[in-house]
Amino acid sequence: MIEIKNLHAEIDGNEILKGLDLTIGDGEVHAIMGPNGAGKSTLSYVLAGRDGYEVTDGSAELDGVDILEMEPDERAAAGLFLAFQYPVEIPGVQMTTFLKTALNAVRKARDEEELDAIGLLKLMKSKCKELGISDDMMKRAVNVGFSGGEKKRNEVLQMAMLEPKFAVLDETDSGLDIDALRIVADGVNALRAQNRSFLVITHYQRLLDYIKPDKVHVLADGEIVKSGGPDLALELEKKGYAEFTKEAA
Amino acid sequence: MSAVTKFKPRYRADTAEIGLIDWDKLPPMSAEWVNALRTRAQLSVIETGMPTAKLERWKYTNLNAKLKKMSLRYHEAELDLSGMTDYAYSFSKGMLHCPEWVREMLEAEAPSNNKYGDMMLWQAANAYLKDGFIVDVPADKKTTSALEVTQTGRDGHYIVPRQIIRVGENAEMTIIEYQSGSRSYWANIVSQIKIEKNATLRHYRFQENSDESVITHNTHIEMEEGANYEAFTITTGAGLSRNQIHADLKGENIICRLNGVNMLDGSEIADTTITVEHQEPNCESYQDYRSVATDKAVGTFQGKIHVHQIAQKTDGYQMAKSLLLSSQATMNTKPELEIYADDVKCSHGATAGRLDEDALFYLRARGIPEKQARNLLIQAFVNEVIEGVTDKNVREQANLIVSKWLDQSDANSSAEWLE
Ligand SMILES: Nc1ncnc2c1ncn2[C@@H]1O[C@H](COP(=O)(O)OP(=O)(O)OP(=O)(O)O)[C@@H](O)[C@H]1O
Ligand SMILES: [Mg+2]
Repeated sequence: MIEIKNLHAEIDGNEILKGLDLTIGDGEVHAIMGPNGAGKSTLSYVLAGRDGYEVTDGSAELDGVDILEMEPDERAAAGLFLAFQYPVEIPGVQMTTFLKTALNAVRKARDEEELDAIGLLKLMKSKCKELGISDDMMKRAVNVGFSGGEKKRNEVLQMAMLEPKFAVLDETDSGLDIDALRIVADGVNALRAQNRSFLVITHYQRLLDYIKPDKVHVLADGEIVKSGGPDLALELEKKGYAEFTKEAA
Repeated sequence: MSAVTKFKPRYRADTAEIGLIDWDKLPPMSAEWVNALRTRAQLSVIETGMPTAKLERWKYTNLNAKLKKMSLRYHEAELDLSGMTDYAYSFSKGMLHCPEWVREMLEAEAPSNNKYGDMMLWQAANAYLKDGFIVDVPADKKTTSALEVTQTGRDGHYIVPRQIIRVGENAEMTIIEYQSGSRSYWANIVSQIKIEKNATLRHYRFQENSDESVITHNTHIEMEEGANYEAFTITTGAGLSRNQIHADLKGENIICRLNGVNMLDGSEIADTTITVEHQEPNCESYQDYRSVATDKAVGTFQGKIHVHQIAQKTDGYQMAKSLLLSSQATMNTKPELEIYADDVKCSHGATAGRLDEDALFYLRARGIPEKQARNLLIQAFVNEVIEGVTDKNVREQANLIVSKWLDQSDANSSAEWLE
């Protein structure tokens, strides 16, 4: 369960999150929609612990533990996962090495047994197959030369391997073709579980046809301004965000 | 007024004694020409002294400041040859009986001396000529294992080993040099390498010298038509190192690779200075270096590709990238192209930067702790050059050295990261 209370955060002295409250129960999927520049990615980075984002007030707890004081890697070990809106290319670091290092670092931190090369390869192959990712891609450097869609699929692959308690998906659907969207959604759905929650950031109602959310929130100007059921997404698709941005102005 | 002595304001003859430590105590050599060569060299050093920062190719590295603080005595070098030793022999106590081709090489003028007038270290080495090793691979001989040369420096020693290497027509050879030592020593090494028609030499150097040591290493490679030279040098130490390489490409269809990795910490100074002379058409040369510097280390890369007018269809490549891990580390890079032919493909590039923060965050967001994430990125950086090494064992050894360096510099400079 994730509980965010009165979260304020700034970048370079500019307040971007202005008192954000959000609670996601175990096993739930919540969606966040909202206009460009509202602070959706900022929220995801603040949760993941990126440098340069200063939390000035509020808290974020994962299963009762405050994560805001932790290092980014400690948050990952504690069960947080962020699928990046813009996955980073890392020349020279092979996917296989990356996945093995990440998985074993997390396993070690969680007091689980580390995987050997064979165990890793097996796991990687089966997850790749599920997500329609070719084995060849695992020999390449992390995200280097991957197409937009491949990068997004790669994020879901990492999520599947790291088995987080709470995953934030920042526009994982953008840039995906129709088939890839279904594959990625199936991948996420396969991970839905009693003890795992999701926060899905998206601009398109379409994704929510595949990944059925329990709740939909509107984030505008650094705050959650409206919450509702899946129908809210349909309503937004029709009406846009005019009513919220006016309010903010 | 007519007989004015040539005025050489750049020279500091008062540094001559640094380069001639215990010279007068050397036992006399028997071969007349060797004695003559040594004496000529000694006189030259007396006239010019050691290289100073006023010289164009020495402006980044102050050798004398370092040497002056050391207290050294001349000793024979501790060299050990192992592995493929069939065509190698070490010599000591001077060059008593040496083949004609060796004599020719020894008596040759230091490369580029007439152009720069800065080859004092070569002259200083010629003034000793007491010990070293010779490799002479006969034509058509393709060796399958490597000759390994281990050089150990001892506290207070000044050593001047000479390397003379000839790879005959169509022959193939691999040489791996390991340099290490303890405390304070100076090794002034000259390597002369001749690669004959269609011959191949793979030449690897592991320089893991002590923090207090000084290494000055001049390497001159002469290549004939169709020859292939692959050099890879990894340097993690020496308080001060100067690796100067001069390659003469004297025939067509030559491939010359001069690659390396420098990993510098503490107050280490590492200077790589390269000149490649394209003297004939249709040759390829590569200079590819990666430097990682932390603490107050200073790295220098000066690389030059000189394409002579006749050398059409030259393919010259030079890339020097550096990674600065602390605010006080420095990297000097000076790429130079001098091209007189019109149909050539030459490129050079230099970058200096810090670790990519976005990449670092991405790795950490996947659960990889900071140090480990940094190390992954540093390894990826130097691996761009290491992965190009032909010899698998050398690649593995180089990777081990990188890991070892990362562990040590982790321990030493973790505080710096908190900046
Ligand atoms: N380094 C920065 N300095 C100042 N402002 C910044 C910085 N980074 C982001 N911002 C601003 O913060 C606001 C929120 O950005 P954020 O990326 O969180 O928006 P978003 O809701 O994810 O938008 P989108 O839907 O386009 O992805 C924007 O106005 C953006 O310009
Ligand atoms: Mg965004």
